[in-house]
Amino acid sequence: MDLHNVLDFPILSLAIFLPTFGALVIWLFIKDEHAIRWAALATSVATFLVTLPLIFNFDTSTSHMQFEEFHEWIPAFNINYQLGVDGISMPFILLTSLLIIICIVSAWKCIQTRIKEYMISFLILETTLIGVFSAMDAMLFYFFWEALLIPMYLMIGIWGGKNRVYATLKFFLYTLVGSVLMLIALLAMYFEAGETFSMLAFMDYPFNFQWQFWIFLAFFIAFAVKVPMWPVHTWLPDAHTEAPTAGSVILAGVLLKMGAYGYLRFSLPMLPDASQYFAPMMIGLSLVAIVYISLVAMMQRDMKRLIAYSSIAHMGFVTLGTFVFTVQGLEGAVINMISHGFVAAALFLCVGVMYDRLHTREISDYGGVVNVMPVFAAIMLFFSMANVALPGTSAFIGEIMVLLGTFAADVDTLPVSAKWIAIAATISVVLSACYTLWMYKRVVMGDLVKDTVRSMGDVSKREFMMFVPLILLTLWVGFYPVPVLDVLHATIENLVEQSTTSKLDAAAALLLEHAPAVHAGTH
Amino acid sequence: MAEIEFPFPFPEHLDLIMPEMILASMGLVVLMMSVFISKGRQQVVAWTSIATCIAVAYSVMSVSGQDVTMTFYGYFELDAFATYAKLLMLLATVLAMFLSLNYIKDVENVGEYYTLMLFSLLGMMLMVSATNFVIMYLGLELMALCIYVLVAYQRDVIRSTEAALKYFILGALSSCMLLYGISFLYGSTGSFMYVEMGEVIAASGDDARLAVLTGMLFVLAGLAFKVSVAPFHMWTPDAYEGAPTPVTAFMSVVPKVAGLIVFIRILVDVLPGLQEEYTTLLIFLAVLSMAVGNIAAIAQRNIKRMLAYSTIGHIGFILLGMIAGTSAGYSGILIYMTIYLFMTMGVFGIIIMMRRDDIQGELLDDFAGLAKVRPGYALAMGLLMFSMAGIPFLGGFWAKYVVFIAVIEQGHIILATLGVLFSAIGAFYYIRIIKYMYFDEERVAFNFGKGLPLQFTVVASTLIIVAVGLYPEPVMEICRTAVIGLL
Repeated sequence: MDLHNVLDFPILSLAIFLPTFGALVIWLFIKDEHAIRWAALATSVATFLVTLPLIFNFDTSTSHMQFEEFHEWIPAFNINYQLGVDGISMPFILLTSLLIIICIVSAWKCIQTRIKEYMISFLILETTLIGVFSAMDAMLFYFFWEALLIPMYLMIGIWGGKNRVYATLKFFLYTLVGSVLMLIALLAMYFEAGETFSMLAFMDYPFNFQWQFWIFLAFFIAFAVKVPMWPVHTWLPDAHTEAPTAGSVILAGVLLKMGAYGYLRFSLPMLPDASQYFAPMMIGLSLVAIVYISLVAMMQRDMKRLIAYSSIAHMGFVTLGTFVFTVQGLEGAVINMISHGFVAAALFLCVGVMYDRLHTREISDYGGVVNVMPVFAAIMLFFSMANVALPGTSAFIGEIMVLLGTFAADVDTLPVSAKWIAIAATISVVLSACYTLWMYKRVVMGDLVKDTVRSMGDVSKREFMMFVPLILLTLWVGFYPVPVLDVLHATIENLVEQSTTSKLDAAAALLLEHAPAVHAGTH
Repeated sequence: MAEIEFPFPFPEHLDLIMPEMILASMGLVVLMMSVFISKGRQQVVAWTSIATCIAVAYSVMSVSGQDVTMTFYGYFELDAFATYAKLLMLLATVLAMFLSLNYIKDVENVGEYYTLMLFSLLGMMLMVSATNFVIMYLGLELMALCIYVLVAYQRDVIRSTEAALKYFILGALSSCMLLYGISFLYGSTGSFMYVEMGEVIAASGDDARLAVLTGMLFVLAGLAFKVSVAPFHMWTPDAYEGAPTPVTAFMSVVPKVAGLIVFIRILVDVLPGLQEEYTTLLIFLAVLSMAVGNIAAIAQRNIKRMLAYSTIGHIGFILLGMIAGTSAGYSGILIYMTIYLFMTMGVFGIIIMMRRDDIQGELLDDFAGLAKVRPGYALAMGLLMFSMAGIPFLGGFWAKYVVFIAVIEQGHIILATLGVLFSAIGAFYYIRIIKYMYFDEERVAFNFGKGLPLQFTVVASTLIIVAVGLYPEPVMEICRTAVIGLL
């Protein structure tokens, strides 16, 4: 097998298993709490450094998988340990390894109980996340996808807020029910595509329409729960509200992207005809998320809940961009995901900073924070503006590209012109300004009326440091997105090609090829 | 002196039955030992029994793998399938005895306890090697009678006695159903040998159909009782709860393995002509078992009752392998049982550790806060629970995977979908235990049980579950070779 790996080194495996190795070392050998924090930080920084060569050695001219690895794992079922990244998955691996560092730094002070288990959970979580984004074998993908539930369940359940048990059970069961259906779909595809789990083989195999129809629905449920799309989004506000700050950061920053990544990796290239067929439904649900959920966000009294609903609305943009099948729309969708990874993560960190001081997330408990925390107020203003998609921030690039892509879209199955959809989606730009800036006004602006707020001190050096990379990245992608677009371009063009080329002719040809044999058998 | 004349030629290849002979004689030796050894040193009896099992396992391995697999004129068969099942049952028995060491102590007649275990094991080893209904039934009754007594072993505990009585009455009823069904099949075919019966049934016309179908229905119902398939599961929760915990561990694995092996042999050898009919029946039983097991478990407050329903659910998943009816399905059942064995033994080991002087440690509430006091065992229990729920990177995931892929290969996609949905429902009550251990505060002081064999069982089971989860190929390969020649 010809492996495309310029480094001749299993760099993806190293990135996947280095965190687990660090977790094992911490589990077995380190007792002192302070040493545990430093060891976890060192592991996460080392993992980040390991993932950096992925950018510098990335070949932007091809849509082929890169940094590939291949080993037999379970030959009986032709399940292989097959890794590789392309322009879509590579940025997410970097995003994961960066956000995990920030998560560990953010937990430095506020997590005081069971610090060891906490750090181990985070490092194991990193393994599963990088695994999801680099797996090229569908069972390996599923393996990491499901294994991720274990650390996440413990994280929300142990270190979460008052209502954590309810939230974490809801999170676990929602995602589990969604993903077991994906398992059935994968097993069915295994037999149909000739006993293989290779994702590339699934992309090439001509599934006929009936197959595509049902598999699309199974995938849809699995991914829609993760994104989350309306109406299966209700676990997210609960999980976000109850999770510890770092849990919310990783949830918003990376976990939600897994669902959208699933659409890009599975639904569009493997099931192009069903994707076209279901596009109106997907676009409709995206619009509901964008408009209706934005309205819901406006009415929230809890800051974390508000940002959680805002995340759902932003993910609506991502699914909208995905299902218009244009290069601009899809690139916008991916940039939106990356950007949301910075912005939503930073907003949750902002809430975490305030929560550490006053131990409340209610908007009404704050007011006039700017008077005591001027630096913090500036940081939060920046990210609030980014959430509104102000030009110059990464979110602007993502949203404008999705909207342009939607305007230009030409989806046959749509009942109305794509223009109207783009216009409807534009409403959300106004709505997101409403809820974000209104929250900012109530929390940060105004006079100091509450004594509790008066006692808040400004951000510490550690807290400031965790915002710096996010600010820089948001501005960089906002002002000069070309490097990111370069990484995406070849892959996305290939994806558009795949998702707009019908597989039905090939499926019919395949059927004819088999038909004479059957016919001959009857005589 | 006149030579003794046998009515038949002397049976050849008697070495195939050597393991059973060793087991039977050692069972008697253990019984006598317990009479003569003083009360303070009864642990010797336990260790002798464990050594017996290991010796029997060794002899099973040494006599199997020959070209000849039949002895006693074809009444007894030691093929790869039976060999693997026997090794599995012996392993489970050894682990159950490890669990018993500290639990069954300071009571009179310790020797009887181990003797009963050995004899029930003997019965089950005969069951899996039987090629005809008579031997199978004898083995089954030997097993059942021993286990009735084992369940009632704590005879001054009302719960235990009640459980044994319920189990006995329903067990006797199921044996009757089995016998009744066998009589129908015998009447229609004129033989007790599985294969001969199968040939006659396959060739029989429509006029014999009714009798054969009636027979099949009763035989399968009787067996379903023994492996606790819904709707014949009523005895399971009571018997599990009332029995001493090591006995519960024993009876949730070993008789299930034996029963399933007999089940498979009957489907493959006796009823191949009725595959369409029994598949319909099995689909009904499987869906009902998955539903009853996974839904009723949610309402339980006692962990042993919960695990009883969980067993019913697992058996429902295992039936999927039979519905597939392919070698992939049958090897899937063996893989499932292997992984299930370690999960069960590990979990019951932890439950036994939870027993304190005054508290049984069997209520779910008793697990509250375990993670703070004994993080190591809480982690083991957590991993085992995630494994039971079928979450990867743990063995339980591959157990479910192999049976699901086997039914999907046969086109039962809706059935598989129902299965995964029930398994997702089942995940709720498994992860609820983790909730108690990790998210709740300690309510009562823990006084954890000790004992090296007990700790070994828990740690080894957990490690194996993790190892199989990460690299299941060796287990899958062994189980695949075990079913070659079955079909």
